[in-house]
Amino acid sequence: MYLAAVFLPLLGGLIAGSLSFIPDGGEKERKHKLDRAAQLITCGGMLLAAVAALVTFISVVLGGETGALEIFTWIDSGSMELSWELRADTLSLVMVLMVTVVSSMIHIYSVGYMSHDHSIPRFQSYLSLFTFFMLMLVTSNNLVQMFFGWEGVGLMSYLLIGFWFERPSACAAAIKAFVVNRVGDFGFALGIFATFLMFDTINFDVIFGLAEAQADQTINVFSGEFHALTVICLLLFVGAMGKSAQLGLHTWLPDAMEGPTPVSALIHAATMVTAGVFMVARLSPLFEHSDVALTVVTIVGASTAIFAATIGCVQNDIKRVIAYSTCSQLGYMFFALGVSAYSAGIFHLVTHAFFKALLFLGAGSVIHAMSDEQDMRKMGGLYKLIPVTYVMMWIGSLALAGVWPFAGFFSKDIVLEAAWGAHSAVGQYAFWLGIAAAFLTAFYSWRLLIMTFHGKPRADEVTMAHVHESPKVMLLPLMVLSVGAIFAGLGLYNWFVGAGTVDFWGNAIFVLEGHDALENAHHVPLWVKYLPLVVGLAGIAMAYVFYMFAPGIPAAIASTFKGVHRFLLNKWYFDELYDFLFVKPAFRLGHGLWKGGDGQVIDGVGPDGIAAATRNLARRAAALQSGFLYHYAFAMLLGVAILVTWFLVTGG
Amino acid sequence: MIIQSLAFYLFSIVIVASALMVISARNPVHSVLFLILAFFNSAGLFVLLGAEFLAMILVVVYVGAVAVLFLFVVMMLDINFAALREGFQQYLPLGAMVGLVLLIELGIIFGSWAIAPEVADLSSAPIPSDVTNTEALGRLIYTDYIYFFQAAGMVLLVAMIGAIVLTHRSRPGVRKQRIGEQVARRPSDTIEVRKVPTGGGI
Amino acid sequence: MPNLIPALPEIFLAVAAMALLMAGVFLNPQTASRNVSYTSAGVLVVTIAIVGLVTDGTATTFGGAFITDTFAVFVKALILIATAVAVIMSREYLEQNGIFRFEFPVLMVLAALGMMMMVSANDMIALYLGLELQSLSLYVIASFQRESTRSAEAGLKYFVLGALSSGLLLYGISLVYGFSGTTGFDKLAGLFIGGDAPVGVIVGLVFILAGFAFKVSAVPFHMWTPDVYEGAPTPVTAFFAVAPKIAALALMTRTMVGAFGDLGAEWSQVIIFVSIASMILGAFAAINQKNIKRLMAYSSIGHMGYALIGLAVAGAADDAVTRSDGLQGLLVYLAIYMFMNIGTFACILLMRRNNRMVEGIDDLAGLSKTNPAMAFVLAAFMFSMAGIPPLAGFFGKLYIFLAAVEAELFALAIIGVLSSVVAAFYYIRIVKVMYFDDPEEAFDKPISREMKAVLIVTGAVVLLFIVYPLPILSGASLATAALMPG
Repeated sequence: MYLAAVFLPLLGGLIAGSLSFIPDGGEKERKHKLDRAAQLITCGGMLLAAVAALVTFISVVLGGETGALEIFTWIDSGSMELSWELRADTLSLVMVLMVTVVSSMIHIYSVGYMSHDHSIPRFQSYLSLFTFFMLMLVTSNNLVQMFFGWEGVGLMSYLLIGFWFERPSACAAAIKAFVVNRVGDFGFALGIFATFLMFDTINFDVIFGLAEAQADQTINVFSGEFHALTVICLLLFVGAMGKSAQLGLHTWLPDAMEGPTPVSALIHAATMVTAGVFMVARLSPLFEHSDVALTVVTIVGASTAIFAATIGCVQNDIKRVIAYSTCSQLGYMFFALGVSAYSAGIFHLVTHAFFKALLFLGAGSVIHAMSDEQDMRKMGGLYKLIPVTYVMMWIGSLALAGVWPFAGFFSKDIVLEAAWGAHSAVGQYAFWLGIAAAFLTAFYSWRLLIMTFHGKPRADEVTMAHVHESPKVMLLPLMVLSVGAIFAGLGLYNWFVGAGTVDFWGNAIFVLEGHDALENAHHVPLWVKYLPLVVGLAGIAMAYVFYMFAPGIPAAIASTFKGVHRFLLNKWYFDELYDFLFVKPAFRLGHGLWKGGDGQVIDGVGPDGIAAATRNLARRAAALQSGFLYHYAFAMLLGVAILVTWFLVTGG
Repeated sequence: MIIQSLAFYLFSIVIVASALMVISARNPVHSVLFLILAFFNSAGLFVLLGAEFLAMILVVVYVGAVAVLFLFVVMMLDINFAALREGFQQYLPLGAMVGLVLLIELGIIFGSWAIAPEVADLSSAPIPSDVTNTEALGRLIYTDYIYFFQAAGMVLLVAMIGAIVLTHRSRPGVRKQRIGEQVARRPSDTIEVRKVPTGGGI
Repeated sequence: MPNLIPALPEIFLAVAAMALLMAGVFLNPQTASRNVSYTSAGVLVVTIAIVGLVTDGTATTFGGAFITDTFAVFVKALILIATAVAVIMSREYLEQNGIFRFEFPVLMVLAALGMMMMVSANDMIALYLGLELQSLSLYVIASFQRESTRSAEAGLKYFVLGALSSGLLLYGISLVYGFSGTTGFDKLAGLFIGGDAPVGVIVGLVFILAGFAFKVSAVPFHMWTPDVYEGAPTPVTAFFAVAPKIAALALMTRTMVGAFGDLGAEWSQVIIFVSIASMILGAFAAINQKNIKRLMAYSSIGHMGYALIGLAVAGAADDAVTRSDGLQGLLVYLAIYMFMNIGTFACILLMRRNNRMVEGIDDLAGLSKTNPAMAFVLAAFMFSMAGIPPLAGFFGKLYIFLAAVEAELFALAIIGVLSSVVAAFYYIRIVKVMYFDDPEEAFDKPISREMKAVLIVTGAVVLLFIVYPLPILSGASLATAALMPG
């Protein structure tokens, strides 16, 4: 069953992918058949995989049959022994179930959303392969297999973001996502090397077993001695930052909106961006032994949460708003991990997967209805025209803002309470920034809702006349996800972070004695419990004031605090900074090496130079042949004279 | 012995001097004439060595045939030798240098020449006294050196074929003597005797 | 009475040549040329059989001036095959140019006789006579198309420079004779044991080698080659490029290894010099050539450079095994070179439009479309000459370079490899012209049966050497054993 859950997406993806190579001969009929076949195969594969995942989840998590399923040996070289293995424990299965369910919804949604595209088999194939790599990542039992999945999702995200490769902006965004992720992956790879150096193995079970014993080891980095586990954890966290778009390496995420909307949902909700969170949770036995690393994780997470939320308040592209919101929510997850409340982080991850997928797909539905318009300033007044989507967006926003009893309320609350419960300075830092971010989250969510659905229509009449509710095949997944967005928090609270947490997680998550933030979270003062809800409602209220009742205020504020507004609008100038610090110098260096190094030195001396010298020599050699007899005779005599002289000089 | 030595040096000096004149004379006819002089003196050297057959052959073949042929060729082909020498000045320095180097080197080599002790005896009695020069040559050529002799014959054959192939042209319309036909002709083939009546005409 | 059996093939060939000459004179002039031509080819083939039959181990005759052994058999077989094929290939060309006369095949037979005498020469005088017999025949056939000034010029240039080289050779021979007192190879071989020789002998050797180098057209004694190759009638060029080269190299080998084997350290320096110079010049000077015959001239200069590496190894290597490896490489190279070159020239002979020869490389443009079979075969020859595996030419070079590396003559091996890279440029350019340029007008058809046969056989050898290399390899190994016992 477990195998089916992981490999059905691969099978479906490969079959659908090969379908895209079958020439349709320009016939519509035939092309339609091929498209339909690809859609059926991939959606069917994903649904079956989701069922298989559910069955496995029940047997492993509820039946307690944890372990690992070995497929075959991969590398056996020296002390390096690796197998392809599927790890079966609660953490993996939670991820597998979540990924397969959300992904299958997105697959089905894509059937409707991409119906006008001309390379449907390719798209469906990419989606399935992407899911497969993600499953490979979350089921890995060693770091290298995880890296395989890690790079696989990186590759597929490149292909998916650049799916519409005719658009230069899509290609640029794809490259940006790939390159920024390379930075993180480099850290991850170094982390793997360091792990192997320290433990002489990269199998999780062995590493986790040895972590305690190695807790006081030091490692030599650039001729300085450092705490080994801290170094390893920080390196691995750099990888996590890249994938999960944390402050510093987040720049690719908003640009990734160039991909088709289902891709945004897949990448930003359920899968790729959560890989970093998952990785830190998976490696909790390592992180637990390094306070420094945990502190860094907390600070980065909290900073990202508030940073992304501030930007989200001023963006006008509907998908970008949601993208920054994702960034912000990932920050929550990270600081939950940072205060050792791993299960809280994962809890938020799961609930977020549902409501963020819902929001994205809803936004996709809006965009679909608006004839591919993404700018909220050109929307408005849609709620009567697309009521189902409107309701779905409300549900998603309520969940995101953390309003009781929606999923986000439970998970966000426990995260913030855990931060408070850490009883530490960084915990307080995270808590207060989290509260501020919660306020902003609610504000921008309703800003989005109001700008999109209320007020006077700001689009032209042609577009407005064309606005229509999405087909059922798109609405059905929305409804399924909305169920998750409503009930996931309430339903899973007990297992994930409540009374049943110890039984539920088993050995999957390791928390050191004394790191009791999660335990403390249940015993915080009452005002701490209510504060997130209160600020959330306040944010909603403020959004209503600003955008519904007194639309002049935002503009007034924007002109009053021009500098701040522009600073936020330009996303804290991160892109410009990186452009100045890395991209431009890299271009200059590359250009210099290309023109000067390769063109002049290597080509000039190498191929071109040799070719030119050869031609020159050839001309001279041919010119020796003058046609005059006495020249020829003279050459012969000269040859003899030289040879004779040679022998007389060298003494024979 | 003294007379022999004197004769040797006389012949040798004349050969070297006339050889120099062959390549330096401005008039090609003079060159050929100097060549003939050199041949004659070489024949003299052969006589000194007791090889009178070779001496005579040299005179007959080289002077009588080759040199005379040269003379004809030089006189018949109106070659502008001045034009041929045009580049002479230009190439002289380089050519002379290479020539000089080679000359010096060969001088060094001959400086290392070691004469075997029996050479003096051999050269003083070059020929068996009981056979004539011609006979001795014949014996060698047709026995020990038969292979070389025949091979040289083949070389000459090729030379002959080559000369014919490259120069012989059969020109149509040229009247040639056909000796066989002429000899074979009978009076009866060509002459008809008619009785001509007096005053009747043919 | 000397034993005539060892010299039976030569005697037969000489008598046959004279008989053919007579027959040519007295036969019906209309058919004489054709009959003499075919009979000559037959005679040459019969001679191969006689060579094989009469040779039984090593035998000398004529007072040691003449020698036959397996080496001679191997080389003579190559020479006779090459000559016979050249005779056959020349008929069509000569007929079309109106110069088909019976003297032509007879002169080829006489040249073959000269070459056989060279190969069997065991004395300086025999060597010289064989060389002259060959050269004189070649001078004549070079200018056989006497109405063409180019042909006449080719013959004249060849003759004058050939006379100069003969002079150098004779000078060297007389130096050697003067300093050693003998011209027989057997006696010479016993004189320099331990590598001690008077400087006069060494310098004499230099002169002798200069004379030989002229015949194999090694740099700097190669200057006649491009002009003569271009000017001479194409079948003559085809003949020049193969048989005399093989004969001269064999002669060189026997003289150097047989008579002066102990002076290997000395003469191999000369060989190394001319070999390097030939490889480099052969590679570079051909690049800008437009005329395919001229290109083949430089190509053959380069090939001689590679072949000479084998001889250099035979002189310079320290141990006997490596020395014989060098010789074997040389012989294998010569055999493969013969097939490649004959095939290539057969293709060149087919380059006719409206009964006129065309010789430009551009004229081959688009041959793959107008005559795919010929383009394929020619491409195979070109790749083989460039030394691309798995064709025969690659193995020729492989054995040579291997031997050079074994003998620690790294400079030769490296320059050889590099220059063959440069040379690959112009060989493969021909392939490019044939396959990727726009087609020119097609060449004349049909292709005569004898040309087809020649192309099929040579093409098969070049393509299939890798599958069945045994005849050439074992022949070369046997031949080497005769020259280097032990």
